[in-house]
Amino acid sequence: MGRRKDGPMTNAMVVSEDEAYELLAQLVCSAELGTVEPYYYGTFRLLDAASRLMECMLRHQSNGTRDWLEAFKAELDQNKLLMMSDRPGYFRYLEQVGGRVAEGVKLHLARSSS
Amino acid sequence: VTEATSRRAEHVLEVIRGRRVVRAFTEQAVSTEDLWKILEAARWALSGGNRRINKFLVVQDPRRIRLVRTVAPGMLGRPTALIVILTDLRKAAEEQVQVDKHTTRWIDVGTAAMNMSLAAHALGLGSCPATSFSRSGVAVMLDLPPTLVPEFILQLGHPAQPLPQPRRGGATRRTVEALTYWERVGDRGD
Repeated sequence: MGRRKDGPMTNAMVVSEDEAYELLAQLVCSAELGTVEPYYYGTFRLLDAASRLMECMLRHQSNGTRDWLEAFKAELDQNKLLMMSDRPGYFRYLEQVGGRVAEGVKLHLARSSS
Repeated sequence: VTEATSRRAEHVLEVIRGRRVVRAFTEQAVSTEDLWKILEAARWALSGGNRRINKFLVVQDPRRIRLVRTVAPGMLGRPTALIVILTDLRKAAEEQVQVDKHTTRWIDVGTAAMNMSLAAHALGLGSCPATSFSRSGVAVMLDLPPTLVPEFILQLGHPAQPLPQPRRGGATRRTVEALTYWERVGDRGD
């Protein structure tokens, strides 16, 4: 367990170096594509990168909030595809997804500090 | 219209109507035999002036597929094979195609891609197009020479789930009548 100014920090590694490089490329190439894709693809690329990050976290047995993480990843993967079939529904999901992830962060921090 | 013609038309239209974008694949590899059949379908595709300025690069090595995926945010799933459509700039120059102006460059990519998607579906495989990728990134990952430009990636594999039925009344659903004018723009012929 490490320590930061603003509280405790778990040191469990949930992203390998290979995976970090993959995410790095995903984010950089998404930025490049942002110059030619419709604007709403920008949000989609970010959600997809978040999904890929969660895939890494789950692969490395991220503990404490695993159930939440699995459920949130499934929810996000289902809803991100609304961008292609139901754009108003997609934007409605975007309006509340910040709250959804905040619940997970709070849960994780509460467990890791207890 | 003979009965044989009618049967053939219905068979082709059934394949066209039944194709879906598939993003979830099993780990089962696509056979080389099937890949050749799909490539043969691309060879038969319409080509502007029959100039054939495209080449096709097949990628089956999981490590190379993974490398391409890192620079292709449009690859959402994990396909077991890729066919990359390339523009051969050398051939284009020979055929006097002005690649920065000539729209057939893109049309040829589309016709080849569609033929391959339909062939894959007819063979029981799933396919998904990817155009959202870094051209320079894919060129590096696949060690492409500067004369071969990646234009389109067809992701292939065995579908992990049954193909979905078409959505009725969905937000993006359009009837053919809504998409069509007849003789004159503004006149739908009804």
